[in-house]
Amino acid sequence: MDSANIAAQLNAGIILPEGIVIVTIMTIIITDLIGGRAVTKWLPYVAIAGLLLAVVDLWGQWAATDPIAFLGAFNGDDLSVVFRGIIALSAAVTVPMCIRYIERSGTALAEFLAILLTATLGGMFLSGADELVTVFVSLETLSISSYLLTGYMKRDPRSNEAALKYLLIGAASAAIFLYGMSLLYGLSGGETNLSLIASRIAEDNAEAPIGLIIALVFVIAGIAFKVAAVPFHQWTPDVYEGSPTPVVAFLSVGSKAAGFALAIRLLLTAFPMVSEQWRFVFTALAILSMVLGNVVALAQTSMKRLLAYSSIGQAGFLMIGFIIGTDAGYSSIVFYLFIYLFMNLGAFTCVILFSLRTGTDQISAYSGLYQKDPLLTLSLSLCLLSLGGIPPLAGFFGKIYIFWAGWQSGAYTLVLVGLITSVISIYYYIRVVKMMVVKEPQEMSDEVKAYSDNDWALVGMRPLQVSLILAVTVTALAGVGANPLLQLANSAVAQTPLLQRSVLIRNAEIAVQPGHESTPMANDAVADVAVSSVTID
Amino acid sequence: MNLAEGVQFVSLVILGGLMIFSALGVVLLSNIVYSAFLLALTFISVSGLYILLNAGFVAAAQVLVYVGAVNVLILFGIMLVNKVEVFSEVKNAWVGKAATGAVCAGLFGLIGTMVTSHPWAISTAPAAGDKAIEVIGQHFFSDFLLPFELASILLLVALVGAIVLARREFLPDLVAPQQEALTLPERPRELVAAGVRDED
Amino acid sequence: MQLEYFLLLAAALFSIGVYGLVTSRNVIRVLMSIELMLNAVNINLMAFSNYLDPGAIKGQVFAVFVITIAAAEAAVGLAIVLSIYRNRDTVDMEQFNLLKW
Repeated sequence: MDSANIAAQLNAGIILPEGIVIVTIMTIIITDLIGGRAVTKWLPYVAIAGLLLAVVDLWGQWAATDPIAFLGAFNGDDLSVVFRGIIALSAAVTVPMCIRYIERSGTALAEFLAILLTATLGGMFLSGADELVTVFVSLETLSISSYLLTGYMKRDPRSNEAALKYLLIGAASAAIFLYGMSLLYGLSGGETNLSLIASRIAEDNAEAPIGLIIALVFVIAGIAFKVAAVPFHQWTPDVYEGSPTPVVAFLSVGSKAAGFALAIRLLLTAFPMVSEQWRFVFTALAILSMVLGNVVALAQTSMKRLLAYSSIGQAGFLMIGFIIGTDAGYSSIVFYLFIYLFMNLGAFTCVILFSLRTGTDQISAYSGLYQKDPLLTLSLSLCLLSLGGIPPLAGFFGKIYIFWAGWQSGAYTLVLVGLITSVISIYYYIRVVKMMVVKEPQEMSDEVKAYSDNDWALVGMRPLQVSLILAVTVTALAGVGANPLLQLANSAVAQTPLLQRSVLIRNAEIAVQPGHESTPMANDAVADVAVSSVTID
Repeated sequence: MNLAEGVQFVSLVILGGLMIFSALGVVLLSNIVYSAFLLALTFISVSGLYILLNAGFVAAAQVLVYVGAVNVLILFGIMLVNKVEVFSEVKNAWVGKAATGAVCAGLFGLIGTMVTSHPWAISTAPAAGDKAIEVIGQHFFSDFLLPFELASILLLVALVGAIVLARREFLPDLVAPQQEALTLPERPRELVAAGVRDED
Repeated sequence: MQLEYFLLLAAALFSIGVYGLVTSRNVIRVLMSIELMLNAVNINLMAFSNYLDPGAIKGQVFAVFVITIAAAEAAVGLAIVLSIYRNRDTVDMEQFNLLKW
């Protein structure tokens, strides 16, 4: 058998974007090894080029006719294309931020880029993984690279400590997740493919066995750790505060998007029999995340901790779209993630810029910044206000879409909690903005007094500026020009068979259960639809 | 129960008991070095269980990787972090330990009830038996090709990252001005550290 | 009845691992507890593979992957422990409080 034949059999073209990322990783490692210091400054551009090329290639993968690759191990459907695009883009925007930061900290840039790209690679594979072993290996690729990135500032005790906590909690949650997966393997009588697992379990058991519930709980523990949902969030503030800021930017967007992709694929494919139970668990997680994330953020004094708690709250909002499980729900997740990518990365770019110039992340140090640096103040204000959901910025449209989708499908409690907590969140975002803008000159903090912004010519500052302006422009304008994005999100959901099947079941559920009042008969009807749709596959 | 089954059962009891007791030793003993060696014993008894489960290849891999690599790595870690550390007492630590113990016992009870009550669909298909290695190899290069290749990237990056993190940076300001010809650049720093430890 | 014995052993090992994970003060012992939990998973996989999937033995392949990745994780974990020990001169979990939990 010649190699072209094998490639056709494996349908290897589907993972071409990941292949490009792998080639970029190898190029970076080998070029740095051979070229030494002379070429190091070009490596970030190689990384960005590779990532953008991967995104372009993903564009070509849109609506692939045969998305199953590697004999069922990988599913390149449109849902995975969208999530892989988000993850690759988040890495592409993160790279320009880190050049100056790494330069200042005196650590090696090439290894940092290689590890960051590997984390991206793990996240991209995770978004399409359709089989337990692939899920596990790609999840660990993402996690292990994240631990390494977190501890990259090895002379800084806070970075060490953050890495240690992340590693211990992450490895423990991975072990628990894995125990759940081993139970799935057993319950299905030796299947590792997600859809085969579901159909085998449905064949063998009339109703959901208790083992499936235990497996579900273990699996949710692993997923909730990745998306940092309360009560699996304790690592987030510490890791965000201690690790290098560009890494935090990537973790808060790329890693979180990968977690959501995993949640959607794994729960919808492998656990259709207990969909009521996992929806209930995720409702609890979403409410807790929204309330705790947004309320605790009020008391923070460090900007990075504030953004950590805000990201916990944002994960809660995203979970609403996932819980309701309708067409609009899923496409609202995709839409919001796109917007969240730019506004959150924009906010982190501003934090990096400020801490590069002043050496601090304290919120109080920002006071009076407007007089010294209007550009930074404007950018940070736009990003924070967008995160808070103030019209007409992009974040407003993202939130309104999620809440509208939730209201349509009757998840009134979730939407109300979401609305109240986003009002709370506006308060702490505005607090920072107010501190920067309206302070009198004599109330300026010492850091701002010593502030100078004539350092744009230094190595790595221009890319930072480009990434800042890109993120802020998108944040400011994406809401107005949201139509193409919305269409993209909608068609991604409409063209993904996995989502369409579950949406059909879900719509039947919502139709027969007005206001979530479940009746035994309705449940039977729903179960029939569920079982028949599973056996059709 | 014929002789073969009897032997299997007896070895299961011995290996299982050995595994549980050494694992308990790992978490309960106060001397970390004993724990590390008991961890090796746990790994070895687990690999014995694999042989009972007709999986010679994985049993060998278990001994090679876990005992040969992971456990040795942990022992090296203990030696490098070579410090007799008296952990300061935390008040009422036993309450937390008792609560954790109760929770873990509950966890065991829950999983135990589940696994004993579930009607597992025992397969009657012909076993791979001695051909297991061939079957595993075929899996690696057919349906598990993607994770297999991804694992190679993961190992490469874990290698690079672990070296970056664990490598001691050359710190010029800490090096003593006059060096003897054959000493390593990091030597003076080691001596300073050793001196500090002796004074303790 | 044989399958259940192995599953019970795995459950016991997993519970012991969880106990060690929560109660240990020494970072290296926490890493060992995580290894115990991963071994419990492996016993589960191997038992299922032998009794439910003896022809295709996917569980054995899965276990090989788990072993591989556990080794990588242990290496990274110890690298991080070494770098924190170099900066802080301790491996006591209670002392790592620069960042509040």
